Amino acid sequence: MFHRHIILRSIYQVERTFCRRKNPFTGCPCTPASLLLLSRRRYGTVPESPEEHREKAAVGPFTWRAALVFVATGAGLYWYFTNEKAKVQEQKRKELADYKVGKARVGGPFTLVTHTGAPFTEQDILGKWSLVYFGFTNCPDICPDELDKMTDVVNTMDTEFGPIVQPIFISCDPARDSVEQMHDYISDFHPRMIGLTGTYDAVKATCKAYRVYFSTPPNTKPGDDYLVDHSIFFYLMDPNGEFVDAFGKSNSADDVRQKVRKAVQEWKSLSP
Amino acid sequence: PPPKRDDRKRCWDARDAYFLCLDASNFLAPGSETGVTCKKERKTYDGSCAKSWVEYFDKRRVLEARQKAMLEAQE
Repeated sequence: MFHRHIILRSIYQVERTFCRRKNPFTGCPCTPASLLLLSRRRYGTVPESPEEHREKAAVGPFTWRAALVFVATGAGLYWYFTNEKAKVQEQKRKELADYKVGKARVGGPFTLVTHTGAPFTEQDILGKWSLVYFGFTNCPDICPDELDKMTDVVNTMDTEFGPIVQPIFISCDPARDSVEQMHDYISDFHPRMIGLTGTYDAVKATCKAYRVYFSTPPNTKPGDDYLVDHSIFFYLMDPNGEFVDAFGKSNSADDVRQKVRKAVQEWKSLSP
Repeated sequence: PPPKRDDRKRCWDARDAYFLCLDASNFLAPGSETGVTCKKERKTYDGSCAKSWVEYFDKRRVLEARQKAMLEAQE
């Protein structure tokens, strides 16, 4: 008896699926199977009218169409949110990468001469990290202190990463800081330190590119006794020759170490 | 030839000795001391440092003291 009901119900459902619907609200006209179903008493209740029965079937929570719409919406929402999340993450990553490029325009082309008399340009800082300090050899105490700090930092970086950081000292007192003078002077500091000097115009142009203020007048003679007023910063340049950070008197060696280490590690993690 | 590490150290030590003498005798500005106070230290200092350095250190001593006083007054 019970089986008959199930069979009839299946037939009824198939008939419903295949019936043509001109108006979704009226549903299908009665089919033979439905009539048989309807005519049969089930749970001792009053037999349902066709409308009631249709209503019951229509609002049952698990019709195929409703299920399909539900799944489609769910999938659609999931796909949408995953996509948006990926977009936001991509944006964030871009901003982080752009963060370096968006910094101050410090640096640029220059042509100087090393403490061994060799030419040295902005091309020669590519492929390595550089710490660049501007000063002069007749400096009372600030330049030697800063160069000692730089030496300390580079020594630490050497043990942690190998010789990937090159310390550079650029003179803003070309009248007195000859190649020999530079050679002699930097021997007190890191063994890989490069001393750079040049003509007054070349030095002036380099200081301008690095936004370094200096006060040396153009007509001084080698024997003159004067101090050069200059901005006291050393700059970290990345292997692309781009400016990363500037350190001043108030930055301790540990500060500088931390920042250089972080920059090198970030660079390594972003590279393939 | 540029001043090397030991040249600088010699100058700084002479400067420090002279400034300590001034502190002990309660003089701030170098050159303001009277009589023979700190004369010996001054001579060593002048002999160990370039003139531009002496001028620079002397000026800085006064400037730093003034800045310190200003900061303390603000507290």
